[in-house]
Amino acid sequence: MPKPTPSQTVGPFFARDLLWKDGGIVLFPGRGDRMTLTGCVFDGNGAPIYDALFETWQADPTGRFPSGHDGARPYGYGRVSTDTDGRYAIETVKPGSFTGPGGATYSPQISVAIFARGLLKALHTRVFLAPIDLIKDDPLARAIGDLERLRTLVATPDPDDPKIYRWDVRLRGAGEAVFIEF
Amino acid sequence: MAETRPVDVHPPYLYPDYKSTRLRAPAQPLVRVAPSPLETAGPVFPKRFVGESEADLTTWGTSAPLGENPHPVDDHDAPLDPNFLGKGQVLTDDEGRYRVVTVKPGAYPWQNHPFGWRPAHIHFSLFGNAYAQRLITQMFFPGDPLLAIDPIFQSVPEAGRKLLIADLDLEQGIEGVALGYRWDLVVRGPRATPMGV
Ligand SMILES: [Fe+2]
Repeated sequence: MPKPTPSQTVGPFFARDLLWKDGGIVLFPGRGDRMTLTGCVFDGNGAPIYDALFETWQADPTGRFPSGHDGARPYGYGRVSTDTDGRYAIETVKPGSFTGPGGATYSPQISVAIFARGLLKALHTRVFLAPIDLIKDDPLARAIGDLERLRTLVATPDPDDPKIYRWDVRLRGAGEAVFIEF
Repeated sequence: MAETRPVDVHPPYLYPDYKSTRLRAPAQPLVRVAPSPLETAGPVFPKRFVGESEADLTTWGTSAPLGENPHPVDDHDAPLDPNFLGKGQVLTDDEGRYRVVTVKPGAYPWQNHPFGWRPAHIHFSLFGNAYAQRLITQMFFPGDPLLAIDPIFQSVPEAGRKLLIADLDLEQGIEGVALGYRWDLVVRGPRATPMGV
């Protein structure tokens, strides 16, 4: 079996070439409850990471994975750059729960991949859109086990606007998010 | 065919000689999860250029011969080549082939360490057939003496380094106009065992 091609950093100069027009608005063929996932990405000193490529992939509201495109870009996939405050924002529809191999039920969640200068390979994780009490049987929540660590992957609805979910990501040190391999 | 555990050819997150990794690499180990439909499904791209959509591949890099990224956040002030956009996007054909006609990039200076220069490289961003196959990497040129002292290239374990270097293959080029290089990319299977465990 041939060896896979090694990963290298995206570097700091991707914005012109990789970003899509309206890449922060995730497309789906149907309709669904609109929501926004937003927050900031921080480094090990708590400083904002202003040059990250932030990508998302998710199920549709019925828990199915979209297999088409709108003629310009794929359904279900979001792609933005963080700004000078380290902030990203993804406008999408709330994904449904879905079933995996062996019948395991997955809570509503969005896959996140972060690429940046200083990341020699992507950081992968998933963010949950349900309260921590409702996700304890999720396969990823079980794999993490520790509740304090799991909390780093739970987005919080904004008290003033329940369509806005807030999720900050710390790459290293205190409050470091859980990152996964699969 | 059963997928076997691949040799880990990927760099670590923390590679102190590449200074930007020091505050961005996670300190905790990754949590290993069984692949779910999130990883085995994947985004589907429009068929814009050729054949069947097997992979969507974007390249970007530096312009020749002065080593400038045609991008506003580049603080290196070499003049831009006005004929070079710096980007190409293609879909591979039925046999997984791609072809990009571009200009050969130059080395460019960076601030990682005194007198630091990156070897000439072209960035590649690839989507395969499944989310788990997403790859961003860099292609390098054979015989470049800067490779031996580039912390980004050297972060790759020895077994993987030659996989990032293209082969000179003149017949892939354009007669009298362009040198040809051949560089194959291999992405993991969507259900492969994770690397480095
Ligand atoms: Fe570069």
